[in-house]
Amino acid sequence: MTAAALERENAVKAALEQKFPGKISDIRIARARRMFAKVAGADAVAVLSFLKDEQGFDHLSTITGLDEGENFAAMYHLVSGSVVLSLRAVVPASAPVLSTVTGLFPGGEDFERELIDLLGFSIEGLKEGRRYPLPDDWPAGEYPLRKSWKGLPPAPKGEGK
Amino acid sequence: MGKITVPLGPQHPALKEPGSFTLALEGEQVVGASIKLGYNHRGIEKTCEQRTYTQDVYLIERVCGICSHSHTTAFCTAVEEIAGVDIGKRAKAIRVAVGELERIHSHLLWLGVAGHEIGFDTLFMYSWRDRELVLDALELISGNRVHYAVNTIGGVRRDISADTARKVLAAVDKLEERTKYYIKVATEEVTVLARAKGVGMLPESVARKLCAVGPLARASNVPKDVRRDDPYLIYDELDFNVITANSCDVFGRLYVRVFELLESCKLIRQVLKALPEGDIVAKMSRKIPAGEAVARYEAPRGEDIHYVKSNGTEMPDRVKVRAPTMSNFAAVSYMLEGGFLADAPLVIAAIDPCFSCTDRATLLRGNSGEVVDLEELRRMGIEHYRAKGVDFSKL
Amino acid sequence: MKKAVEKLVTWSRMKSPWIIHFNSGACNGCDIEVLDALTPRYDLERFGVQLHGTPRHADVLVASGPVTRQQAARLVRIYNQMAEPKFVVAVGACACSGGVFDGCYSVLGGIDSVIPVSAYIPGCPVRPEALIDGVVKLLSSLEKKEASK
Repeated sequence: MTAAALERENAVKAALEQKFPGKISDIRIARARRMFAKVAGADAVAVLSFLKDEQGFDHLSTITGLDEGENFAAMYHLVSGSVVLSLRAVVPASAPVLSTVTGLFPGGEDFERELIDLLGFSIEGLKEGRRYPLPDDWPAGEYPLRKSWKGLPPAPKGEGK
Repeated sequence: MGKITVPLGPQHPALKEPGSFTLALEGEQVVGASIKLGYNHRGIEKTCEQRTYTQDVYLIERVCGICSHSHTTAFCTAVEEIAGVDIGKRAKAIRVAVGELERIHSHLLWLGVAGHEIGFDTLFMYSWRDRELVLDALELISGNRVHYAVNTIGGVRRDISADTARKVLAAVDKLEERTKYYIKVATEEVTVLARAKGVGMLPESVARKLCAVGPLARASNVPKDVRRDDPYLIYDELDFNVITANSCDVFGRLYVRVFELLESCKLIRQVLKALPEGDIVAKMSRKIPAGEAVARYEAPRGEDIHYVKSNGTEMPDRVKVRAPTMSNFAAVSYMLEGGFLADAPLVIAAIDPCFSCTDRATLLRGNSGEVVDLEELRRMGIEHYRAKGVDFSKL
Repeated sequence: MKKAVEKLVTWSRMKSPWIIHFNSGACNGCDIEVLDALTPRYDLERFGVQLHGTPRHADVLVASGPVTRQQAARLVRIYNQMAEPKFVVAVGACACSGGVFDGCYSVLGGIDSVIPVSAYIPGCPVRPEALIDGVVKLLSSLEKKEASK
């Protein structure tokens, strides 16, 4: 891997460091075309907006919700041409609150609903809508992707009749 | 005339993302559309965390029965990247060959379904007959028609011998010849044009804004193709074109897919005629060191993205799968709105969400509780167009 | 006379079973193979088998996939809408037992965890040949049952 091959990645890294000094940590170029970065949940939308409008990351591939013990994280996988930047927005597990990104990426609505259903995030500003992807009769307060979640009590045979 | 609300679904079970569509109608015109997904939610991502990497390959394969190879390839490349293992060129080439065969099978399948939705069942039967050629080729390589289980962590499980390659190439020649016929049908047949042109419009700016992927995006003149943009396996050494169309309608999606069939044939030839020597599977530890990786793959329906996070054990810490249809559903509401109810099945089918499901959706008319299945709706659509002079029964 | 009519009805039912196909949470592998069985190479229709969109017209429910929580109620509803006598064929490993998805939090198990099943066809996915074989076996077993009446 030559330095020239990482020109774009390094430029994005420099731009992020310059625009948000001290706010973005762990900017990491894992390999050519793959970058990772970390930001506090409250700053996520500002950073995403900067990346979209000024750095050409106009494609939101998906959002991965992560349970990392004391913290939860929503990882926004952004694409610009060939480069994928995965921005981790970290929030405390006790209050996993993020602002919606549907203002920037209208297609991100279902990804945010997944965060709500599977990990128990609350997304501020997300318009009302039907739940996704868990079934309608799913009990409240059960978030399957949390590491502490051990499953629902076994359903009696023939449930749903 | 008041608004009528028409629920379409929920018996609309597609891959990971089956849906229930609620259409608001004014007369025949759709003025609003909303989608509910999640009927096929099985909890694969959580289960992946409770099984070993090797077991996960088999589970991930079954995220989708149509593009199973896409998912396993994306998952395996992510795991291999974390482990820092290079799987060797022969394994990569075999993955590409199977991947492109899968694309042909998927596109032919879609072509048939699109034909069925517009009432052109002859096209459905033709393309599914020819699809058997690909399934035979896949069976020859892997031993199974669907769910090839070719991938494993560290490479592939099946080699392609010179004899197999010759037989597959012969099938590809035949397919290419048939594809030329489909190109003729898709681009010249007046009845197809009447049903597809100007239907389900998705302008380029909207396709970009909603992050559409795959043939849907390419038909709206957004030249996104992971194979070229972010080459994986050996795509950077292969010669192929990214097909785009600028008509932004169902016709464009038809055009893109039939021409992609030719590109896939070209790719398979390049790979199988010069299959690199070497091992097909690299030795790998069952424990994967802690790390994370993002893998992208151009599945037949578009960008498939997998995120894998490992923690040094035999089981992953987190696996995230985002199938292409998930990204494209946002565009469906947009395309349905303003269109005719008669076009709804075709517009939904045009993103290739799944096909068999579209047959069995249930439709309730107004508050009368009258149940109409999608089959009925399809017939209504055909009648609607027959009244306008588009008739397939005269072919 | 009544017996003769009954015989005729049974005969026609055996000779031309109408099927409805329902995906209760499958990966699509079985679904495309079910449809494949109706296309030119296998052409199930030459045996009188016809695919129908509405449960009210169907004799045989061909169900594929494990039953997801969300689909369970819909599967039961479809089953209840079918007229008697009705039969259920579980198509594929997942429909038989939950298969690879057994243990997933949103999966209840095989088709028989929700509705009674008459025939199980294993395979992941089922091959069209296996599907045809399964349907024929189901019908011939009914014929025998009918004859022993």
